[in-house]
Amino acid sequence: MPDKPIEGEKRVFMTGNEVVAWAALVAGAEIMYGYPITPQNEIMHYWTRLAPKYGREFLQTEDELSAGFTTVGGVLAGRKAFTATAGPGNTLMQEPMSMAEAMRLPTVVVIQQRGGPSTATVIYSQQEVTMTTLGGNGEGLRIVYSTANHQELFDYTIKAFNTAWKYRFPTFVLGDGYQAKMRESLTIYDPASRGIELVEAEPYFGKPGVPGVDRPPTQLRNTYNVEEELYEVLEGYFRDYQKIAPEVAEHEAFGLEDSDLVVVSHGVVSRACKAAVKELREAGIKVGYFRPITLRPLPVEAIRETASKARQFLVVESAQGQLARLLKEAAFGCPVEMLDLFKPGVGITAEDVVSRVKEIVG
Amino acid sequence: MAKAVKILLAGEGGQGVQSVAEIIAEAANEEGREALYIPNFGVEQRGGVSIAYLQIGDEPIGAPKFQTGDIVIALSDRAVHRTRQYVGPQTLFVYDSSIEGVDDALPTQARKILPIPAIDVSKKELHPRVFNIVIMGAVIKATGVISVEEAKKAIEKKLGYKFEKNPKLRELNFRALERGMELVAQAI
Repeated sequence: MPDKPIEGEKRVFMTGNEVVAWAALVAGAEIMYGYPITPQNEIMHYWTRLAPKYGREFLQTEDELSAGFTTVGGVLAGRKAFTATAGPGNTLMQEPMSMAEAMRLPTVVVIQQRGGPSTATVIYSQQEVTMTTLGGNGEGLRIVYSTANHQELFDYTIKAFNTAWKYRFPTFVLGDGYQAKMRESLTIYDPASRGIELVEAEPYFGKPGVPGVDRPPTQLRNTYNVEEELYEVLEGYFRDYQKIAPEVAEHEAFGLEDSDLVVVSHGVVSRACKAAVKELREAGIKVGYFRPITLRPLPVEAIRETASKARQFLVVESAQGQLARLLKEAAFGCPVEMLDLFKPGVGITAEDVVSRVKEIVG
Repeated sequence: MAKAVKILLAGEGGQGVQSVAEIIAEAANEEGREALYIPNFGVEQRGGVSIAYLQIGDEPIGAPKFQTGDIVIALSDRAVHRTRQYVGPQTLFVYDSSIEGVDDALPTQARKILPIPAIDVSKKELHPRVFNIVIMGAVIKATGVISVEEAKKAIEKKLGYKFEKNPKLRELNFRALERGMELVAQAI
């Protein structure tokens, strides 16, 4: 059996779904649980082809509820486990991921967003932002990376496993149907060759020592009898989350220093926004670019700083204001005006963004 | 730096528009250029017009799909109707001259409209199965996104295993590529 899936690094040209399978492999994922749904099917397809060559495993379940719960089970067994889904599958996945939140389990879920509500389209959208960041009957105790290109899909899938196992919060990689199905170039690599240390998985049960004497007992609960008991546990979780949020939050930005208007977007739409802002700046129109990479936790400090300097935000997304709602909460009290370009379930091009900006600046 | 060249290919399932787009994209990538290819896909398992969006440039590509193509190629009457929306004042619109009854549907705002007898040529001079390679020749001649050498290398990479069994197929495919280029060269 070959030792490492990738030696050193290699430039490749492939679909986003294939990228995810390779990334999970080099991140040391031991098992994928899954149920097919377009547009993420090929993650499973590639994983099932690659995994046996490296001693990794796959289990197809009867639906997404089961895929989510078996992923939870895999993690409880101390394995790096993940699943992938989209759209209505993501809806079902909220129940098991809520359990992962309750037990602080480092599950990794890759979402390739498709049109909604319901079955809608199998193609593309950014309409699973609210659900992926805040879904389930919980408090959004999770980490969500929104990727924009294949390189990031690779980088952040590796990172997702590390973040999950380091901080013990369920972690999501939020892609979309375009990223899933398109082909573009990227460099895949052995994480060690870039100095990336993989956080080791560890079993939850059967640790050495006597529970309660040599170490605290392992107590994993998603059920409480007493209100105050739940409250106390959650208070601890919120404190932990608050503490790690600034470490985890990521964003990218340019052109903020001299701009009254800042274009804010995430994921694949940020490609169009970046191209549009560059083009506009070259034409002498002062406009800035801001993109949260983590949608949960948001880079709140950077958003507030930007929202305090800029006069207007133009929020651009392939959804009816799901990112905008998160931004409004983060920037609450800042005197920024929120303008929008919303195209739910439809792609947005640089031309769309340029013409909207010109409409605003006159 | 120049903007990416935007290419849209549309046809019926089986005409091979997706494989043409993929081969060109891979060839461009091999040349060290930036390429992005995305097929349209829906819930249908068959039927419907097959569309390939392809962009090739020297800098990272922006949005995966686009509103207006630099070159739009329609290979069936339904494809002509479906692709009108992607045609702007700078677009070269190419369609197969054997498609009948689409005169009213042809885009009016294109920079140039170019009928080419690709179906006819592949049927009569070559073999119907290399129709998509004729189209590939037409695309690279019209756009210059990759060199002929790189195109041949890409075809070799894709179909080499078939060429090994039957070397005549190599000749046939390369001839198809060249004929496609000639069709566009003559028309322009």
